[in-house]
Amino acid sequence: MQRLNQLQHRLREAIMAADADGTAVRVASKTVNATRGLSSPEHLRIYRRAVTGTFKRALGQLYPVTMRLLGQQFFDGMVCRYMRITPSLSPDLADYGSSFAEFIEGFEPAAGLPYLPDVARLEWAWHRAFSAADETALNIDALSEVPESDRARLLFALPASASLLASQYPVQRIWQVNQEDWSGSEEVNLDEGAARLIIWRRGYDMRIDPLHDSEWSLLSALTQNMPMRKLSQSFPDMATLLPHCVEHGWIAGFKLGESTD
Amino acid sequence: MSERADVQIRGAGIGLRSQHQQEIIDRQPSVPWFEVLSENYYGAGGTALAKLEKVRNLYPITLHGVGMSLGSTDPLNFEYLARLKSLADRFEPEWVSDHLAWISVGGEYVHDLLPLPCTQEALDHVVARIDQVQDFLGRRILIENPSTYLSYTDAEMPEWEFFREVAELSDCDILFDVNNAYVNASNHGFAATSYLDALPLARVREIHLAGFAQLDSYLFDTHGDRIHPPVWELYQLTIQRTGPVPTLIEWDTNIPDLGVLVAEAEKAQAQLDAVSCSA
Ligand SMILES: [Fe+2]
Repeated sequence: MQRLNQLQHRLREAIMAADADGTAVRVASKTVNATRGLSSPEHLRIYRRAVTGTFKRALGQLYPVTMRLLGQQFFDGMVCRYMRITPSLSPDLADYGSSFAEFIEGFEPAAGLPYLPDVARLEWAWHRAFSAADETALNIDALSEVPESDRARLLFALPASASLLASQYPVQRIWQVNQEDWSGSEEVNLDEGAARLIIWRRGYDMRIDPLHDSEWSLLSALTQNMPMRKLSQSFPDMATLLPHCVEHGWIAGFKLGESTD
Repeated sequence: MSERADVQIRGAGIGLRSQHQQEIIDRQPSVPWFEVLSENYYGAGGTALAKLEKVRNLYPITLHGVGMSLGSTDPLNFEYLARLKSLADRFEPEWVSDHLAWISVGGEYVHDLLPLPCTQEALDHVVARIDQVQDFLGRRILIENPSTYLSYTDAEMPEWEFFREVAELSDCDILFDVNNAYVNASNHGFAATSYLDALPLARVREIHLAGFAQLDSYLFDTHGDRIHPPVWELYQLTIQRTGPVPTLIEWDTNIPDLGVLVAEAEKAQAQLDAVSCSA
């Protein structure tokens, strides 16, 4: 299958190459028949267009607010650049685009909208939450059943759907006023202040909850797998803060970690 | 799974699209079955799966995918196949299908169905792959003829012969896409009936119908329109030979109201009924 393998590599390179008339297309053209009014490169171009269209559509659906802020043409151009340097490594197109925010950060032509990478991060978090595993809420009473002697080893987990996002821009507001069904004012004051958010799903209900400093700090610590022993030292108000976060649904489970002492 | 109707799939079904899910659950239109796009349900949870569960409790389904990359020279993606298998275990489709094509090489996916060269080398390769997939899934799969927009200089046989050989040698079933056969015949300049003459009829378990777009100098398979008259004609010729094989209306872009799809399915059903009466 060596011949087949070579042909497939050549074809993929011709389809993904930035230059529609470059070497990759010329090489692949030699293996493609010219037919009824279409030259070999024109046959390849049909696939180049189809593939580019697929990536544009996929990221456009995943990042609708980013697209709205940039306009479709600009957005599509950006996707074209992104897809050439970011191969898709999964047969599931829904896995594609996790690094889009980082790409935007380095994308000079979009530098005029400094909040854009965080908007994209929010949209990726939303996308993740939408199809994350279903979970039932944690019952706070279950915690009291853990023997006192084991409590120091407790480790807590955020919902599988949850992402934490900190931004120096009011990204939740930007996101909100750019929703299709938004009917209020679209004005956002960028000095409105920073945002600290948890994006997650409660049942089938998609949520973006703003967090206070102490909530943010605790939930961040939990993502670092900090055990109860350390949490109690770092958070003097643990006795109220923890149940408070459980009640909101931001903590979905706990387990016992290794005993270190 | 006692609540699920254990009906065999027959008649003209519709491709299930997410924007119609709720309406289907609420109104329960009289459609004999739905085809589900496997890749739309690879998430771990969420509303999409929950709604599919409801649809599945009302209707029989089939699973149709584009992710197997059967023709690729890469190793098979068993992570993908495992996800597909667990989806099939959960939703009990009557069958699972994918395409005679490849979508990846070197571990990189282009997410578009690319044609195989019709050579002995490619034939041997893809037959071995289908064998492996059928073993892994523990079921016979259906392979669909894709629409293509190029042919290779090193072809050793026509595409309809290649398609037939793949089915016979790997002992898989066939999903015959009438629209794709029509599009290819027009794009590559052969008689669409060549496909019919080559089809191993007993293996054809499903037929696809869809709309194409006429572009400058070729037909493009958009799945975004009503079925065109010449495709209806080719469909009639097909079912005269195969008998009333379950038929699916595929619509993927510019998706219209459910009613439009139901109307297309009814047209197909009328043709199927005519064939069963005369048989
Ligand atoms: Fe099809």
